[in-house]
Amino acid sequence: MDTPNSRLRFSLSWQMLFSLLMFGFMYLPILVLAFYSFNESPYSAGWKGFTWNWYYQFFTDTRILTALGNSLVVAFSATSIAAILGTLMAVGLARYQFPGKGLYQGVAYLPLIIPDIAMAVATLVFLAAAAIPLSGGTIVAAHVVFCLSYIALVVSTRINGINPHLEEAALDLGATPAQAFTKVLLPELAPAIVSGCLLAFVLSMDDFLIASFTAGDGVKTLPIEIFGRIRTGVKPDINALSVTLILASGLVFFVAEYIRYRSEQKRLQ
Amino acid sequence: MSGCGWTLAEVRPVQAGKGKSDELSLYTWTNYVDPPLVEAFTTQTGIRVTYDIFNSNEIMLATFQAGKGSAYSILYPSDYKVEEMIELGFLSELDHTRIDGLSNILPQFQNSAYDPGNRHSIPISWGTTGLIYDADRLNPGPEDWSFLWENLDKLERRITLLDDVREVMGATLRSLGHSYNSTNPQQIKQAYERLVTLKPAVASFNTDAWKEQLLAGDLVLAMVYSADAVRLTKDNPDRNLKYVIPKSGTSLWSDTIVMPKTAPNPEAAYAWINYMLQPSVAAQITQRQYFATPNQAAYDQLPAPLRNNTSLFPPDEILANSERISPIDPKILALYERYWTLLTSS
Amino acid sequence: MAGQSPPLSKQPSLDTEKVLPKWLEPLFLLAPAGIWLGLLLVIPTLLIFELSLVPNIRPGQVVNPSGLDNYALIFDDIYQKVVLRSLSFAVSTTFFCLLLGFPVAYWIALIVSKRWQNLVLLGFVLPLWTSSLLRSYAWITILRPTGVVNSVITLLSSMTHLTLPPLDILNREPAVLIGMTYSLLPYMVLILYASLEKLDRRLLEAAADLGATPVQTFLKVTVPQTLPGIAAGSLLVFITCLGDFVNPELLGGASSMTVARLIYNQFLGATRNWGFGSALSMILILAVSIAIALLIKYGDAVPKK
Repeated sequence: MDTPNSRLRFSLSWQMLFSLLMFGFMYLPILVLAFYSFNESPYSAGWKGFTWNWYYQFFTDTRILTALGNSLVVAFSATSIAAILGTLMAVGLARYQFPGKGLYQGVAYLPLIIPDIAMAVATLVFLAAAAIPLSGGTIVAAHVVFCLSYIALVVSTRINGINPHLEEAALDLGATPAQAFTKVLLPELAPAIVSGCLLAFVLSMDDFLIASFTAGDGVKTLPIEIFGRIRTGVKPDINALSVTLILASGLVFFVAEYIRYRSEQKRLQ
Repeated sequence: MSGCGWTLAEVRPVQAGKGKSDELSLYTWTNYVDPPLVEAFTTQTGIRVTYDIFNSNEIMLATFQAGKGSAYSILYPSDYKVEEMIELGFLSELDHTRIDGLSNILPQFQNSAYDPGNRHSIPISWGTTGLIYDADRLNPGPEDWSFLWENLDKLERRITLLDDVREVMGATLRSLGHSYNSTNPQQIKQAYERLVTLKPAVASFNTDAWKEQLLAGDLVLAMVYSADAVRLTKDNPDRNLKYVIPKSGTSLWSDTIVMPKTAPNPEAAYAWINYMLQPSVAAQITQRQYFATPNQAAYDQLPAPLRNNTSLFPPDEILANSERISPIDPKILALYERYWTLLTSS
Repeated sequence: MAGQSPPLSKQPSLDTEKVLPKWLEPLFLLAPAGIWLGLLLVIPTLLIFELSLVPNIRPGQVVNPSGLDNYALIFDDIYQKVVLRSLSFAVSTTFFCLLLGFPVAYWIALIVSKRWQNLVLLGFVLPLWTSSLLRSYAWITILRPTGVVNSVITLLSSMTHLTLPPLDILNREPAVLIGMTYSLLPYMVLILYASLEKLDRRLLEAAADLGATPVQTFLKVTVPQTLPGIAAGSLLVFITCLGDFVNPELLGGASSMTVARLIYNQFLGATRNWGFGSALSMILILAVSIAIALLIKYGDAVPKK
């Protein structure tokens, strides 16, 4: 019994070392961004002294802040609309059999696999054909499409885990279907809807291609602005922006995880 | 949808004249962005300015045609693009009674080939295309386009070319002794083949990002517009940067301001045109951004060192040796674009 | 469903008044999303298919489908090269993600103690929460000729008096590969972890007890058991890479045109040809759909246990 155990310990150590190396790989770019966000020299790779200057520049850069605001508005609107449509769709798909369901399902989950560039192109061509002027609203409309699929996907995995008799019981006890939906089903689905929304929100905030094809009327989202700056030679306040965004999304992430953890604890009790 | 077909995305004047009267949206080149200039305009007129930037004429037109132009009241196309946009019917005719100071513009710019009589466009700057290099790391420096091909070993992945089909193809045509505006398929093919041999030296095709790469030392040489080159040299006096106009001739460009037919706010557009024509404003553009001005009154206001800067205002013999890029037949243009795609895709 | 069992409600008549007609409920649930998807996904896809049949179309021109010229263009030498390059990026990235991701997923799923598993996994995928553009941008800073890596190399050579060659890979294919692998490694690890976590440890122990070497155990037990996860992860990485625009654009420089960059250029770049761009998009959609179809078919063929 000794030999396999010592073998196991041996293999354990190299996998751990390798994994730690990969952790380093994952965090290297982030550390590099953080490092340069405090470096005085805008060009040099070497350390030229500590400065807060880039953070100051970033927080007074109205273009970046406007773009950030636009991105938040777009992501929030798209996620809200998609949350409603996606949840209804997931419930509907779980509940009903109808001819053409396979096709409907295929279309509903298509945005999960279609490359962004193809969706972006298709949406632009559609808007051009329908002569709909591009604006901030067209970005939202396009973002709802993929947000909807992601939310529906997350919600539908949760529906499969719900006891179907709960809603039946509610109906049997005299609740209207609407009551059964809002009082019984919705609270059960809430954690899934929230995590679906979180995922959709992050994807919408991060989307460059679809936004850059459907943006108009001078509305720029943050990725469009960042891309433009990288293309035209970056000012180091982009580094400061990255670090701020990373900290902010890290914070949101931990808050979300904490809420999820707490709600799970509650459910277990 | 079958049979007769439908028309794809025509930029429609959906919103013409519907914009807020105190807002002006510009679509301009990266290097024209100058916050103090915009602030002074807002103080003078009360009109708030927002802007978006592009880095090549082709991208500007593509974006505009894709239906993203409806917000802009002012665009900054270069000479040959103006002609193309007039033909496409995108530009509104300017009402000269609402414009002051046009008479200060030099005669050759008032009667340009691309827009005689300034019916659709107001010239605001001109310049040349050339090579900037770091003399500390590249010595001797270039004198002509042919330098690039003769020093391929030294330049491997150390240069950038403009992200602009006409400029790059044109310069190569010129290095072969042909015209920037050649319509001879044989010559165009020859230029493409010559560019292919230059490919190992080219780190990327870009119009703006070369600046910090050159300063950091990633590049030793870049093909650039004179305004950017002079500005970078002035901003970094501690560096040994030099701008060269190739001997065999280069392209002479001028940028203009135009008002699209879809302009949401023509009032503000006219205010901007008049502002840009003020001699003191035009002189500031030359002083801060190093674009040569076509405005005689502004030129007279410039300090002597600037007027005598030969990178900015090259001597007549260089100008005589240079060419303007002019619009070419769509069929030939398609050939240019095809070779451009081949070049950037290989 | 609930309809079969008679309602226990005391006032059935009043109830039926409140209840919507049977056909209205599914409509209420499924129609809104259906209409949205129809308008902004189905019709647009049909439109680019129509547009892909019009050669050389640009905005402002009349759409009059006339043939497969745009598709024929893809067999042009140069575009074939672009397609092949995209494919090879996708294949190599998938390979590297598997190679680097498997040990990590294995470590987290089978070696790290249960208490810490979730936290370690979350820690590994946390960088996904940052903007993908900024992550690519960070790689520019690392890989550029005067960047982090080369500064370290210069420092090392001056310390050891060796002449280490500088690493000149930015604006070349290796840089794109690094960027893509970096972006997709967390997804691969997530999927492999899900699959490894379900692995029956007793099987591994049994194999070891019966005298199998770790390599044998790995090849004969671990890999076959996690094959569905490997397939799903690889497919996800593969199709994401195939349509990736940001990494080749920012890290690839002048010599790594890919299908996605080519499409972008047909619409918002210098060479406007909406028809050709649409044809390329259709091919991308088709390629991805075929890959998914293969997975579903292949996935069914794999026995569950």
